Amino acid sequence: MERTVGRPAAAETSGRALRDRLTRLVAVGEVGVLLALVVIVAFFFVLEPAFLSERNIRAILRVVSFVGIIAIGQTLLLVCGEFDLSVGAVAGLSAVVSAKLMTALALPVPIALLGGVAVGGLVGLVNGLAVVRLRIPAFIQTLGMLFIGQGLIQVVTNGYPVYPLPKVIGEIGMAGFVFGLGWSFVFFVVAAVSADFVLRRTVLGRNMYATGGNPEVARLVGIDTARMKIGAFVTVGMLAAVAGMFVMADLSSGTTSIGSGWELTVIAGVVVGGVSLFGGAGTMAGGLIGILLLQVVTSGLVVIGVNANWQQIAVGLIMVIAVGLDVLRRRTFIAGSGSEPPAEPAGPAKS
Amino acid sequence: MTVPEPAPPVIETRAVVKSFAGVQALRGVDLTVRAGEIHALLGQNGAGKSTLVKILNGVHPAGSFSGDIRVAGRPVSFRSTSDARAEGVGYVPQEIEVLEQLTVAENVFAGQTGLGAGVLVSQRRLEERTRALFAEIGLAIDPRALVASLTAAQRHLVMIARALSFRPRVLMLDEPTASLSGVEVERLFAVLRRLKAQGSTMIFITHRLPEVLAICDRATVLRDGRVAAEIGREEFDAERFIFAMSGQRLQRLYPHHEPPPAAPPLLSVRNLTIAGRFGVNRGVSDVGFDVRPGEILGLAGLLGSGRTEILHAIYGRIPFAGEISIAGRPVTIRKAGDARAAGIALLTEDRKRDGLLFNLPVGANITIGNLGPLASRGMVSDRKEKSAVLAAMRALAVKARSPQSSVAHLSGGNQQKLLFARVLMSGPRVLLLDEPTKGVDASTRHEIYRLIVDLAEKGVALVVVASELEEIIGIADRCLVVADGRIVDEFNRGEGSEDRVLRAVAAAQAAATMATALPASERTG
Repeated sequence: MERTVGRPAAAETSGRALRDRLTRLVAVGEVGVLLALVVIVAFFFVLEPAFLSERNIRAILRVVSFVGIIAIGQTLLLVCGEFDLSVGAVAGLSAVVSAKLMTALALPVPIALLGGVAVGGLVGLVNGLAVVRLRIPAFIQTLGMLFIGQGLIQVVTNGYPVYPLPKVIGEIGMAGFVFGLGWSFVFFVVAAVSADFVLRRTVLGRNMYATGGNPEVARLVGIDTARMKIGAFVTVGMLAAVAGMFVMADLSSGTTSIGSGWELTVIAGVVVGGVSLFGGAGTMAGGLIGILLLQVVTSGLVVIGVNANWQQIAVGLIMVIAVGLDVLRRRTFIAGSGSEPPAEPAGPAKS
Repeated sequence: MTVPEPAPPVIETRAVVKSFAGVQALRGVDLTVRAGEIHALLGQNGAGKSTLVKILNGVHPAGSFSGDIRVAGRPVSFRSTSDARAEGVGYVPQEIEVLEQLTVAENVFAGQTGLGAGVLVSQRRLEERTRALFAEIGLAIDPRALVASLTAAQRHLVMIARALSFRPRVLMLDEPTASLSGVEVERLFAVLRRLKAQGSTMIFITHRLPEVLAICDRATVLRDGRVAAEIGREEFDAERFIFAMSGQRLQRLYPHHEPPPAAPPLLSVRNLTIAGRFGVNRGVSDVGFDVRPGEILGLAGLLGSGRTEILHAIYGRIPFAGEISIAGRPVTIRKAGDARAAGIALLTEDRKRDGLLFNLPVGANITIGNLGPLASRGMVSDRKEKSAVLAAMRALAVKARSPQSSVAHLSGGNQQKLLFARVLMSGPRVLLLDEPTKGVDASTRHEIYRLIVDLAEKGVALVVVASELEEIIGIADRCLVVADGRIVDEFNRGEGSEDRVLRAVAAAQAAATMATALPASERTG
């Protein structure tokens, strides 16, 4: 029974077309998160108008620009079908290493910063090679790397913050030329737009979705899936390094706690935004809106005076509810939109 | 057969109507299956077979459809699959669903309770009961063997045994031969005949007419959610089935194709050797053949003979030793990309596992791997991609609402045509087809034969693997018979027959058995 066969009355067709259009709109993952974001913002604004004060918006966007830089990499990696739990440790490690390079070794600042990026890239490369070549599950490899990174931070610093840093670092951190936001925000926006462009418009992006969707098929159509995945691991490592160093600049100090706990915030955020943990599904916009949503909730709860312990509970609940709603949406709108049952018993994809 | 009075019905449906999202999948189906018969349920993809089966085994619960179901004359309503099982409806799914790391006996009795004392399971008792059940139905599989070591056919038999362990009144077999090759089908049929002799009733869901003719007693043909015909054994006739299934009389099953004139080979394979991996394949040794431009070469053989591995090696999917030349020029093939660069394309057998990308829509599924010409400086051109997709969908008559539709909702035939569109988009000179008509309906099957012949006429060299011998003999200009990783016979169009292939395979297998003792798992079943 193809749809082209026996479609009667025009009235039914037009009613159906409208429904189809609505279905397609809701089926676009980002619309759901965006709606939720608007509702949550409105909720906090009604309870406490100061929530939308310039100062608070700026504070939210500052945090989002740090975490968001990593989320860009994590989204790319998730689309390729892998994920990285070591990003927080990598951010911290890269920050303290570059701080040490510019203080203890007195290297020029640009060289030291490049050194930090190199550390992130190297960790990403090790993760990628271990996962792709040695077939160690990403969960194990990057969890291991999380501990290794945390340990190395202590080894490099002996547990003391690296301080003082050259003046220029503080100046980078203090700059506020866009709505009081500085270089990290600019970097975040540029990187997000570029990554979105890559995912949506380029052959590379399409090949990443194929790799994450089904690596076997991707290999068969000639895609070098190993390179895709290793490349994504390196990218996420370097972006984590950049984020870590922006925090370092913000604090004017190579603090050992930089990045701690980010790995879960980042994954929770992009998953809320509809990026699939199983690979091949999700968009850059969705992932970053998810990050923003989590930050808005955290900040909103602070503004309306909710105890800090409850904030964590809220983040956890939101993640579970968001994924639950997403599963429901896929079932109702995507699976149900077909007028015919799946042709074979195990029709729909596991995504 | 002069039966004065027909046997009483074991399971009946009356006026069953089932809709999905406002579209009727079943429009009033009356099915009557009588005691002791093997009843064929036929129909193209989307005719409603799967839906009817899901109603009969409780996947679509009572209330989600209208109409009555009666088991042994008594109205029943199934709220779940376990209800259906309790009423004596056994079901063997099409896909092999086994627990690989458990033994055969554990698989047969998986999900059942009361197998020992309390929560404990008595392994010995489990094995005894399995052995008894196997003896009854004539299976020679060791109950203690790990299912991971069994062949696809043996796994299927284990699933049948699992369904039979519930002592069903009627056993539904959903495309039981889809993943089996000729000899294995015969083994399965032997088991089914034995069950029938013991008085079992079976519903046999299939696409394959020869099997219906071989084993079934009566047939119900569905078309567009209605019963198109109910045919008794005495009126069985392939033409009649095709007519009922498609509503039109197909002209000829295989389109005409003249073998091309003598020409230098386009694809040459020499000394192809593939190391066997236990449990995966038995390897291929020293295979060589040539394919001329415009020639359709068939690789006939049973499942596990090495025919699929030959295709995969040429496409760079598995490592091999040997030489491959394209148009006389040797090429080095280590990965799929190398084969594609040499102008080779492969259509894989398993659409779900290594064909479709369920996370991408129809359009992107067609263009994946072929984006080069549709992009400039790495950027995909929407306009070029869309027109290429629409052209490909038109050329192959892929029926989808739009290039943005999900591939999961396409019928098997349309999914297969979509994958053809993908492999043809790169303009291959050599096309390797692994089971190109697996799980597609009769009319799509015909379209695919037409397509194969058209490609040959354009000068493409084709290598086709198919389990159905009749099909491979019908479509190929020349056939190589593969058995145990070697080429054991070769014949041109018109010179071969199913008999000849089976005899060649049997002779090769007899020789191999004498030469080396087969592993235990291969002897059984």
